[in-house]
Amino acid sequence: MPIRQKVFFLSVAVVLLLVIVELIRRRRLRVEYSWLWIASGVTIIVLILRYDLLVWLTATTGAVIPTSTLFFLSILYLALLSLNYSVRLSDLTRQVKVLAQEVALLRAERETPPDTRPRP
Amino acid sequence: MRSRVLLVLPAWNEAGNLRGVVAELRAERPGDDIVLVDDGSLDGTTTAALSAGCVVLTLPFHLGYGAAVQAGVKYGHRNGYEIVVTFDADGQHDPADVAPLAACIAEGADLALGSRFLSKGSYRGGIVRQAGRRVFSWLTYVLTGLRISDPTSGLKALGVRAQTLFALAGFPDRFPDADALVLARRARLTVVERPARMRPSHNAHSMHGGYRAVAYTFNMCLSLLVAAAGRETDLRG
Repeated sequence: MPIRQKVFFLSVAVVLLLVIVELIRRRRLRVEYSWLWIASGVTIIVLILRYDLLVWLTATTGAVIPTSTLFFLSILYLALLSLNYSVRLSDLTRQVKVLAQEVALLRAERETPPDTRPRP
Repeated sequence: MRSRVLLVLPAWNEAGNLRGVVAELRAERPGDDIVLVDDGSLDGTTTAALSAGCVVLTLPFHLGYGAAVQAGVKYGHRNGYEIVVTFDADGQHDPADVAPLAACIAEGADLALGSRFLSKGSYRGGIVRQAGRRVFSWLTYVLTGLRISDPTSGLKALGVRAQTLFALAGFPDRFPDADALVLARRARLTVVERPARMRPSHNAHSMHGGYRAVAYTFNMCLSLLVAAAGRETDLRG
């Protein structure tokens, strides 16, 4: 990998990591979700510094050129990321539903006059 | 004296029909309590229901039919009603059919469904809907061994054990139809069916029309699989 490429991509990766750390510091990104992003940034740096790892992986999986290995991994990574978001959204949907029902139940309890309230 | 039966009316933009439906129910079932679940209506359904003298659960935004019904079932369950009957607020159901369903629960069944197909002269919907119901009826039979002619019926009576099941956070909350029956069987509830007269709904946004029918069918098939193959813990919450 030419030195010019190395420097360029390394600076991109470092900026990405800095943005992530700053988001965590400002509490815009919850700590438990941030490990994934830190891991992504670090992986990029490792692949830049150790291009031979990518070449080795290409040979192991039977792919022909390292570029396609890289694209395959990126697409797989993005797909898994969306899947992960779908799971989180499903959780949130269920939680919001339960909350909305509780709000309605509590409000009814508060606004119903005590004499008409059903007694268990 | 407190009534043993709670009528749950899920409603979405039904301010117009509400007064008539509630009056009809009150005339037929004077001793029952009524709770109306306003599923995020924009037409003043809550105000109409309050002035009709119902207890009202107002959901802060639209959640969909199943979740609205579930809110009403939770209300009944927490307030110790022995029987909870779900009854559509759009005038589709006949108040006279509540009594036989409630009687089934009183006699020991856990879940009683009102079926338009066991009833002569009932409105049955178009040909596509009838075919769809037949498919789900057959699937329900394959998965549970239950002969249920009208699994999509919105007229249901729930005993305490069915209320507990229907109130679970993970219970199907889109349209709890055939999938609910599969779960009910897995939870070893007794399910029975009685004739019920259905009238054409005078409602613009009926649930299973057009492209939604396709989405409904697909979602219900998936939901059936989940209900049949889900974990045992799903039944306990």
